[in-house]
Amino acid sequence: MDWDKIVQLLVNGVTLGSVYALVALGFSMVYGILKLLNLAHGDVLMVGAFIGWGILGWLGGAQDPSVAVWLLLVLMVLAAMAGCGVLGVAIERFAYRPLRRAPRIAPLISALGVSFFIQNTVLLLYGANFRSYDTVDLVDVEVGIHWGPLNVWVIRLVVIGAALVMMVALWLLVTRTRLGKAMRATAFDREAAAMMGIDVDRVIVKTFFIGSALAGAAGVLVGLVFGQINHFMGFNYGLKGFTAAVVGGIGSIPGAMFGGLFIGLADAFSVGYIEDFTRGRLGSAFSDLVLFLILIVFMLVRPQGIFGKPEVKKV
Amino acid sequence: MSTQPPEQPRIGRDEWVASAAERRARTVASRVQDAVEGAPAAAKLVVFALPFAAFPLLVDSQYLMQVGIDTLIFVLLALGLNVAVGWVGLLDLGFVAFFGLGAYLYAALASEYAGRDWEAQFAIPLIAVAVAATGFLLGLPSRRLVGDYLAIVTLFFLQIWLVVLINASFTRGPNGISDILPLELFGRQVTSLDGYFYVALAALVATVSVLYLLNQSRTGRAWRALREDELAAELMTMPVNRLKLMAFAVGAGVAGVTGAIYAPVQGAVFPASFDLVLLITLYAMVVLGGAGSLVGVTVGAVLINASLEALRDPSDASWLFYGVIVVALVVMLRPRWLSPVVLGGTVVFGLVAHELAGQWRPSLVAGTPFGEARIDELVESWVLLPQDLVTPDGLPTGAMGRLAYIGLIAAVLGLTLVRSRLWRSIGLVPVLYLAACVWENMLLAQPAVARFVLIGAMLVALMAVRPQGLFGRQRVEFA
Amino acid sequence: MRRGLIAAAIAVLASAAVVTAAVAKTSEPAGLAKADCTSSTLGFMGPLTGPAGFLGQEQLSWLRFGVLRYNTASGTKFKVAPGDTQLKSPVALTVGRKFAADDNIWAIIGVSESQGNVVTGNLFEKNDLVMVSGSATRTTLTTPGRPYKTFFRVVPNDSVQGPTIVKYVSGNLKAKNVVVIDSQDDYSVPLAQGVTRGLRARGAKVARESVSADDTDFSSIVANVESNVTVVVFATQVASAANTLSNQLREQGKKAIVFGTDGAYSPSQFKPKSGYVSVFGPDLHFDPAARKLVREYNTYSKNRPFGSFGPATYMAGLVAMTAITKACADGEADRAEITKAVGGTNIPSIIGKNITFTRSGDVKGVDFLIYRVTNGKYSPVG
Repeated sequence: MDWDKIVQLLVNGVTLGSVYALVALGFSMVYGILKLLNLAHGDVLMVGAFIGWGILGWLGGAQDPSVAVWLLLVLMVLAAMAGCGVLGVAIERFAYRPLRRAPRIAPLISALGVSFFIQNTVLLLYGANFRSYDTVDLVDVEVGIHWGPLNVWVIRLVVIGAALVMMVALWLLVTRTRLGKAMRATAFDREAAAMMGIDVDRVIVKTFFIGSALAGAAGVLVGLVFGQINHFMGFNYGLKGFTAAVVGGIGSIPGAMFGGLFIGLADAFSVGYIEDFTRGRLGSAFSDLVLFLILIVFMLVRPQGIFGKPEVKKV
Repeated sequence: MSTQPPEQPRIGRDEWVASAAERRARTVASRVQDAVEGAPAAAKLVVFALPFAAFPLLVDSQYLMQVGIDTLIFVLLALGLNVAVGWVGLLDLGFVAFFGLGAYLYAALASEYAGRDWEAQFAIPLIAVAVAATGFLLGLPSRRLVGDYLAIVTLFFLQIWLVVLINASFTRGPNGISDILPLELFGRQVTSLDGYFYVALAALVATVSVLYLLNQSRTGRAWRALREDELAAELMTMPVNRLKLMAFAVGAGVAGVTGAIYAPVQGAVFPASFDLVLLITLYAMVVLGGAGSLVGVTVGAVLINASLEALRDPSDASWLFYGVIVVALVVMLRPRWLSPVVLGGTVVFGLVAHELAGQWRPSLVAGTPFGEARIDELVESWVLLPQDLVTPDGLPTGAMGRLAYIGLIAAVLGLTLVRSRLWRSIGLVPVLYLAACVWENMLLAQPAVARFVLIGAMLVALMAVRPQGLFGRQRVEFA
Repeated sequence: MRRGLIAAAIAVLASAAVVTAAVAKTSEPAGLAKADCTSSTLGFMGPLTGPAGFLGQEQLSWLRFGVLRYNTASGTKFKVAPGDTQLKSPVALTVGRKFAADDNIWAIIGVSESQGNVVTGNLFEKNDLVMVSGSATRTTLTTPGRPYKTFFRVVPNDSVQGPTIVKYVSGNLKAKNVVVIDSQDDYSVPLAQGVTRGLRARGAKVARESVSADDTDFSSIVANVESNVTVVVFATQVASAANTLSNQLREQGKKAIVFGTDGAYSPSQFKPKSGYVSVFGPDLHFDPAARKLVREYNTYSKNRPFGSFGPATYMAGLVAMTAITKACADGEADRAEITKAVGGTNIPSIIGKNITFTRSGDVKGVDFLIYRVTNGKYSPVG
């Protein structure tokens, strides 16, 4: 057993998983309340990454920051969360709310339109070049934990830690506050919640704000740990986050967290071990194939996901 | 001897109300509609196919023929997607894989790479059956999964297909298969674009006929029942699973045949041609045209493809941009006299703004324009053209350009929130002027990108205004 | 129902209008362009949007810069028409037909991506339209047998870069244990395969890995890299990806350093602590002869970063414009004449050596340079 490799893959998987979990949470929350697949969510992450990059540049850049490193990171994440929260609210108000009573497929097309629009707006305003966070200039890659087989860069710890903090905060919000109770009630039965005096529209707006803020934070974290961002990066994270939400049980918050972790680990380990499993027949190019095959089998066996409840149709 | 009551004069309010349906039936619109719906199917088919058949006679350029063929391909694909999505209400996100499979199968049967040269009359039916069978297989999970879960699994299948296409050695990876032999029908090779156009047209006519007959048959009625309420359909003893599998198979078969025609037209097949962007475009065509309506998805496909092509050329794009704005204003502003007033106000506002800006800071109107169409030349002395707003490449140099763009979006969205008609009309004037400025300065500088920005905005706007599509029926969803 | 009819009527009218407008514009048959030598257009074909947009945008920027410079210097009025291929061959074919049917277009600068040339090569050959590409490196575009008679390229093809890398990696770096990574596109896969074959022939142990072209995380691939691997050859067109790979190798304590192919060449984006990159000449970033040109470009584009394919496209534009001017010397020219003139090109390149083409359309005598990168600083070796 190559412990070095296994430990490393675990670290990679958990890093990726944290990001996927944040994206999946946004998907799950919106689906739970509106039964809507928000296909523009990945692009919200991308906008968050650009906001973070903008703040970084405004405060001197990675080479010469004008504030302490930790403060810089906090500011970037907060700015991205605020900006993306507002963006999410705007998307809901103008692209989804008019379609509440429309056939299910109409908001999907609207979401695709929003996605095209956001992606190409960023392309128009900032160009096609990859932008770099240059995190290595802020905190060199060799700064971190080096203990036995464990080689973890400090920034990875920041990503995992930040994601954990946000997930715990969200969990507390959903289970301990009145807003959380309102969110759960609206997700369970929108009409009944309205009849109980809950302002459904306000709850939906707040859900979108929180979900998009999480995606924005994920965008900054991605930029920090992987270094490069461009207008097209949202697509991949959106797809993986969406997959994670489904695997965890779409509509379920703990499901999104575990789903994200699961997909992140599956991603890392499928790349790491595909050659061994297929005895050299398939290279890392096919890691995505293995991942999706696993997912299809999983969906056939347990379509409601890990934490989801089987859908019971009432006649 | 008839025992009919004596003829009563039909006067009075109740009589008026009772004869309302009669009066409506006498209007021109209703009579046209009745005539259209009552016409024999063959006549409808001829009318449908006529504009397509006339197309090659109207155009001379090879470029337009290529666009025409591409449009026919899109129409065929939209029709295939319509079966699963429009008629049965299944969200099939793997549809494009069938298209790709059909194309690659053709490459396997008639290319130098494969060393085979099958004639089309053998290859195409075989491909249709093979791809339909694959569609059948893809539909099998529908037994266990409903709605969105099924959609997700079909998406996974598409991803797997793409991975295999790009990386397997027998598909020649990202280089694709590039030596596909031309279509050969009964010994005669199709060599010109016109020829391929007629082949595609023949396929379209055949497909529409088959689909129309299917729609009118028991299967079509069963599909519609299935879409409306699956549980009720099952209780009415309809073989729900078999129907779903049939829908997948039929849609896949259409896509497969289309792929088999597409491959020789292009002469090569590449994995990049069958990706998610194509899927998104197809969905947009189906939904905007009206899911469930054969005519609707055809019109949707033609319109979207034509718009995409028209937007490709920056000079045509300007005409489309200004034209759509004017048409939208005329159609949506009531009372009718308001639109000329708003437009006139915008022109005046612009002239005043241009003058004032020129006096105050000449660099605001001294920039180099990007537009090349005649309408751009007209507009250039009217909009603000700040110097150095964008680099010659089209990238904004500083905050002003970006803020103007974001400001425009915020203003447009804000305008939709304004309740009072007076304020909305007043607000339209500066917003329209700002839109023209942003278009001339920033969007025309990067026409390839502006194209997608406009498409995205159009999709959102069209869905908000008419979610059932052009020809769709307004349906109420029970949440 | 009535609204449905109205909607239908509008839709039909609208589509009729669009089609008529398009038809009315280009209803003349495409023929040989004649006589208007004073202003002709170069058609650029490459990806301007989508994940590969940065490639085409950089090339278009340098092309426009070159045209502006040439026009200023010689009083001509050349123009550039951008054609976005979105890196998709059906789109390339449509754009190609559009350009072929346009009388004002006398040369194609492109297609940037190799597979775009495969779909459009025959079309342009039939229309006698010359294609000068600044980045299409697939070997089979020119050999064997010159399949596309009007295709030229100013960059050396994969059969030159591969052996150069192999020679350096196994000869100078003496690497016995190598990993070769491709990015699953038609630029990197043949290159990676060629390098792998060459290294194995020289007795090195080569492990193959593959990432997707828009991947930004390579940590799991890096976990696969064994501790005795010394060099990781990365065939990519995204310089910042090579940078990330290099950082992640260091992060996991691996000895291996990254050797990037010419797509990774970008001093502003690939700045590892230690690495190598290969690039074809002319190389603008560090050659003193090119300093003035680079300064002018930076002023023009407001310091837009660039790699190796932008300047190459500048050269391609220069080749085309020189050929058109030459063919027009007698007052009249057509596309076939211009194609012939391109074949006989003999102009100074950006840094002094002359550009000429072989009979198969490849550029003659351009070598690959190898740079060693230390802490972001580039120094030529080999």
